[in-house]
Amino acid sequence: MKQVWNNHLFLWKLCFKTAPGYMIYNLYDGFRHQIMIFLEHTIGIRYVLHCAEYGEPFYKALLGIGIILLLNMLQIIPDGYFIHAMTYRMKPKLYRALKERMYEKAAELDLSCYDDPKYYNEFVLAVAEAESSIDRFIAFSNSSMQSLTIVFSTGAFYLMTDSVSVLFVGVSFILSFLLGKRLNKLNYQVRLKVNPWERKRNYAGRVFYLNDYAKELRLNPEVAKLLKEDFIEANDKIIEEQKKISGKRVGLSFLRNYGVSDFITDGLYVGYLVLQAAVFHTIDYSNAVVLFNRTGNLRNGMRGLAEIGPAANENSLYIDKIRTFLAYEPKMKQGSGEKVPEGTGCLELSHVSFRYTEDAKETLHDICLKVEPGERVAIVGYNGAGKTTLIKLLMRLYDPTDGSISYHGRNIDRYLLSEYRSRVGVVFQDFKMYGASLLENVVLNDVGDNAGEEAAVTAALCQSGFEERLRSFPAGLSTQLTTEFDEQGVNLSGGESQKVAIARAFYRQADILIMDEPSSALDPIAEYSLNKAMHDAALNKTVFYISHRLSTTRDADRILMLEKGRIIEEGTHEELLRKNGKYAEMWYAQAGKYTA
Amino acid sequence: MKKKEGNRFRAWKNNLYALRLGWQMAPGAIVHMAVSRVLGYFEWLFYSAFFMRYVINAMETEQEVSSILIFLGITVTVFALTSLYQNYLNGKVMPIMNAQIHKKLNLRLFEKATNVELSCFEDSGFYNRYTLATENAANKLIETIQNIWGVIFGVIAAGAAFYLMYDVDKLSVLFVLFPIIGNFVFNRGLSRIDFDRNKDMAPYNRRIAYINRVMYLADYAKEIRLTDVFALMRRDYREAIKGVADVTRKYTPKAMVLHWFRVMFTFTFIFEGVLIYGAYRTLVNHSMSLAQLAVLTSMMVSSTWILIGFTESLVTSFRNGLFVDNLRTFMEYEEKIPEDYQGADPGNKIESIEFRNVCFSYKDKEVIRNLSFELRGGKTYALVGHNGAGKSTIIKLLMRFYDPSSGEIFLNGRNIKEYELQKYRRLFATAFQDFQIFSLSVMENVLMRKGTPEDEAEVVRALTLAGVYDKVQTLPDGIHTILTKEFAEDGAVLSGGEYQKIVVARAFVQQCPVKIFDEPSSALDPIAEYNLFESILQDGKDKTMLFISHRLSSVQNADWVFMLENGTIIEQGSHRKLMQGKGAYADMYEKQAVNYLAADVASVQGSIFVADKEVAE
Repeated sequence: MKQVWNNHLFLWKLCFKTAPGYMIYNLYDGFRHQIMIFLEHTIGIRYVLHCAEYGEPFYKALLGIGIILLLNMLQIIPDGYFIHAMTYRMKPKLYRALKERMYEKAAELDLSCYDDPKYYNEFVLAVAEAESSIDRFIAFSNSSMQSLTIVFSTGAFYLMTDSVSVLFVGVSFILSFLLGKRLNKLNYQVRLKVNPWERKRNYAGRVFYLNDYAKELRLNPEVAKLLKEDFIEANDKIIEEQKKISGKRVGLSFLRNYGVSDFITDGLYVGYLVLQAAVFHTIDYSNAVVLFNRTGNLRNGMRGLAEIGPAANENSLYIDKIRTFLAYEPKMKQGSGEKVPEGTGCLELSHVSFRYTEDAKETLHDICLKVEPGERVAIVGYNGAGKTTLIKLLMRLYDPTDGSISYHGRNIDRYLLSEYRSRVGVVFQDFKMYGASLLENVVLNDVGDNAGEEAAVTAALCQSGFEERLRSFPAGLSTQLTTEFDEQGVNLSGGESQKVAIARAFYRQADILIMDEPSSALDPIAEYSLNKAMHDAALNKTVFYISHRLSTTRDADRILMLEKGRIIEEGTHEELLRKNGKYAEMWYAQAGKYTA
Repeated sequence: MKKKEGNRFRAWKNNLYALRLGWQMAPGAIVHMAVSRVLGYFEWLFYSAFFMRYVINAMETEQEVSSILIFLGITVTVFALTSLYQNYLNGKVMPIMNAQIHKKLNLRLFEKATNVELSCFEDSGFYNRYTLATENAANKLIETIQNIWGVIFGVIAAGAAFYLMYDVDKLSVLFVLFPIIGNFVFNRGLSRIDFDRNKDMAPYNRRIAYINRVMYLADYAKEIRLTDVFALMRRDYREAIKGVADVTRKYTPKAMVLHWFRVMFTFTFIFEGVLIYGAYRTLVNHSMSLAQLAVLTSMMVSSTWILIGFTESLVTSFRNGLFVDNLRTFMEYEEKIPEDYQGADPGNKIESIEFRNVCFSYKDKEVIRNLSFELRGGKTYALVGHNGAGKSTIIKLLMRFYDPSSGEIFLNGRNIKEYELQKYRRLFATAFQDFQIFSLSVMENVLMRKGTPEDEAEVVRALTLAGVYDKVQTLPDGIHTILTKEFAEDGAVLSGGEYQKIVVARAFVQQCPVKIFDEPSSALDPIAEYNLFESILQDGKDKTMLFISHRLSSVQNADWVFMLENGTIIEQGSHRKLMQGKGAYADMYEKQAVNYLAADVASVQGSIFVADKEVAE
C-alpha cells in the first residue's frame, strides 16, 4: 500500500517538475469534463423540466440555459489548447525526463545484467515500458478525477433529491462489481488454459507467413502438413476450452449485465420512481426523469472510483520495475579511478576465472598470461572454448570472478573505466551500424559541427580499406548510413560494414587492438586483403586476434589454444606444430587439404 | 475528387468482399452479429424515445398505477430475453465462432502462402501488403464485419432517431443539423489535421523509436559501454523531441479553432438549443407536454451519439477497406509458379541437368547472365566464387523457386517447367545456408515429416554422419526431444553449429538422386568442418552432388568446379586443370592456401597441387 503510494508520488514529482502546468491542467480537465456534463445533463435538464412542470416564466429557462451555453463556449477554448498543443508538446518532454535517466542507467549497467534473461526481461524491458507508464499515469490521474467529480456532483444531487435512490444505484453497482470480479477470474482462467494453444497457433502462422521458412515449406510439403495438423489441433483445443466454461460465463454475465444492472435500474428503480411520483407524490416528474436518466452516469462514477485501487496497483507494478532499474548500483563504477599511464603497457592476467552467473559452469578457468607491449597474440580454439569471453574481460565488460587483470602494473579496476576502455580498440563479430552519418559511425560520439575529426576519420577509413568506397560517396563522410531514417541512406554490405567497424578501432588510437573474427563475413579474396591492411595498421600496438581460420593467425608472436576455458597450449606456430598436440591436429585438419 | 470517389467505391466493394468471405466460413456468426446490432439499437431507441414518453404520459393522464407497473413488467421481461441472447452470444457463440473463423481463414491463407512462388516473399511491396493482410487476419475480419453492420444499422437507427424527434415535434428535428455539421465538417477537418500532423511527426517518432531500441537491445549493449555512442543517441533524441514540439506548434491555432466548432456543433448547440426550444414550446406556445419535453431531452442525446457512432464506423470502414484490399489482393493473386502445378513425372533417375543461356534479374538487377552449363548424373560438382556472384541463385533456379527471365533449364533433356513441380522438387535433397529449425522433434526436423519407428535407424545414421548424434543423445528424449523453447518449456536449445548439422542431416536422410549443400559448414569449427566434408563425400558417392563452399580446400574432391563471377561462369574444369590455368580460381585458392603452405614451400615447391590432385583421383 505504502509502496503503491510512493511509486505514484515518485512519478508525480518527476512529471510535476518537468511540466507543472500540464499536470495541473490534466487534473482540472478531469474535473471540468464531468462537471460540465453534470451541469448540462443533470442541472440544466432538470431546470428546464422543472420550469415546464411548474409553468415558470420562459425567461428563467432562457437565462439558466444561457448561462450553461456561455460556460460551455468558454471552457472549450483552453480545452483545444490542452488537446492540440499541451499534450503533444509536454508528453514527449515527460517521456524524456524519465527516459534519459533510464538511458543513462542502461549505459552504465553491468553487461552481466543483459546475460541474465530474468533480469533482462524484468528491468531492461522496463525502458520499453517507460512511455506507456507515463501515459497510464496521466490517464489514471484524469479518470480518477472524473470519477471523484461524478460521485461528488451527481451523488450529491441524488442524496439531496431522493436519498433512497442512491441505494438502488449503490446496490446495483456493488453487486455488478462483485459479479464482474468473478467473471474476470473466470476469463483469466480460460486465458491461462488457452494461452499455450494460442502460442502454438501463432507459431504456425509465423512459419507459414514468414519469408524465412518459405523455402523449406516448398521443399518439404510434408512438414507443412505436420504444422497444419498442429494448427488445427490448437484451434480445436481453444474451442473446447471455450465450450467448457461457456455455460458458466453466460450465466454470470447475464446476471451481471441484466440481473443486477438493467433489471434493478430499468425495472425496480423505475417502479419505485413511478410509485413515488404518481402515488406518494414525494418526487416531482422532472426530478424523476432526471434521476432515471442519470443512473448510468452515477454507476459509472462509482465503478471508476472502485477501480482506482486496482488500477493504481497495476501501475505501481510497472513503476516498481522502473524504480528498481534506476536504483540499480552497477558493480563497475564509471566515474572514479586513476588515470591510465601514457603509452602501451604490459597486460597481465593472473589466475583469472570467470563464470557468467553464480550457478553456471566456469567459462574461463585459471588463466595466467603476460602480454608485452606490441606483442601480437592469437587466440584459437573450438566453438565455445571461451575466446570471446576472454576478450570481454580484457575490455572490462566483466570483472573476473577470481584472479586479476593488470595493465601498466596496476589492477585495471583501479583505473577510470571510460579511460581504460578508450585505450582498447575492439572489432566484435556482432558490431552494429547506426542510423547516423559515416563520420559519426566511425567516431561514435556527438562531434557537433566539429570538422576537426574529418582528417582522422578519413585516415582510419583508408587504413581499413574503405578508401575506394568512400570516394564513391558524393556526400563523403556526411553520407547517412542505413535507410532507417534517410531514404537516400546507404546500406553497406557485410564486408563494407566490417571495414567501418575496423576503422572505429583504428580511429581511437588505442594501445591495444582486439579483433574477434573480423573476417568471418568475407569471401577469401576480401579476407586476404583485409588481413594485410590490418597487419599494417596494427604495427606497434598490442594485438589480440581471434580466428577460426588458422591461416590468418599463424604468424602471430604467440598463439593461445583454448579448450573448455583453459589455455591448453601456448607458443609460436612452429613450436605448437612440433608439440603435435591439439593445435597441430586442428591445423592439419584445416591445412590438410591444401598441403596434402 | 474523382479519384477519391473511386477509392470510396472500392472500399465498399472490399467491405462486401469481407462479408462474403465471412459468410463462407461462418454464416451463423454473421447473422448473429447483425441481430445483436439491431437489438442493441432497438433497446437504445426504445428507452430514450418510447419508454419514458409512455410512463410520464400515463402518470400525467393519471392512469392506474397498476397498468404502468404491468407495462414495466412487460418491458423488463422482453429485455431480459434480449439480454439473455446478447450474453449468450458474447459468452458462448462468439468466442467459439472466433476460433472457427481463425481456423478456416488461416488454413486458406496457409494454403495460398505455400502455393505462391518464392519471389513474392522477396518482393518487398508484395511482402509488406501480405504481412498486413495476414497479421491478426481473423480478428480483423470479424471486426470488419461487425463494423459493416454498424454502418448499415447505424444509418437506419439514425433515421429512426430523427423520425422519432420529428414525431414529437416537427421543428425539433432541425437541431440535428448541428451535430451533422459538427461530425461531417469540423470533425473531418480535425481528422485531416491529425493525419498531416502524424505525417509530419513520423520521422521524429521513428527516430525516437530507433533510439529506444538501441538503448535497450542487448545487441548494442557492448558498443554503448565501449564507446560514446550514447552521447550521439542523446543528441538525436533531444533533436527529435524538439522536432515534435515544432510540428505541434504549426497546427495548434487551426486545430484549436476547429476543436471549438466541433464541440459546439456536435454537443453544445443541439443540447442547449433543444432545451431552449423545448422550454419555449411548453412555456410560451403551450404546444408541448412535459412527457414530450422529457423525450426530447433524451432523444437529443441519443441522436447525437448514434450519429457519432455512425461517423466512426464509416471512418473505420475505410480503414478496414484497406486491410481487406490487402487480403483480397493476396487471395486473388495468380501464381506464376503454382506449387501444385501438375505435369509430367520426372522419374527417379538423373542423366543430365542443363542450364541453357539462362538469365535472371532480381529487382531489376541482373544476377545471372547468359549462363550455360551441364551436370551429369552421378558426379560431384562444386560452385565457388565471391559473395554475391550468384551461387545461391543458381540453386534457387534449379529448385524452381524462380523461373529464369530468359533461357531454359532442362532435366534429362526436358524443360523443368513441364514436370509436376512437387515431384520434380523431390529429386533434390537440399541443405540451405539460411536454414530454419522447426519447433518439432529432432527426428521430425531431420525427416521433415511425421516419423515412424522404422525411420529411427535412418535418422540416427544421418545425425551421426552430420556429427551431431553424440549431442542429440545427451538430450532428455534423444531424437524425440522437441527443439526450441517456442512452446515446449523443456524444449532443447542447441548452438548455431549444432542446428546447422541437423539441417545437413536432412540432406543425408533423404534418398534423393541429387544432393545440394549450400555452405554447409559456415557455422562450424575447423575439425567439425573437416569431418562434415568427409561425410558429405562418403554419402554422395554414387549420387549427383552440387555444393557451394568458401573453403576451397573442400572443393578439390569435386569432379568438376564452376567458378562464378557476376552471375556467369568464368572458369570451369577439374581442380587440377583450373590450378594449371592460373586464372581467377587459382588466384583465390592460392590466397587462401598461401599461409597454410608457407612453411612447406621450401620442401614441396609448386608441384604440390599436381601431386595432391592425383592422389585424390
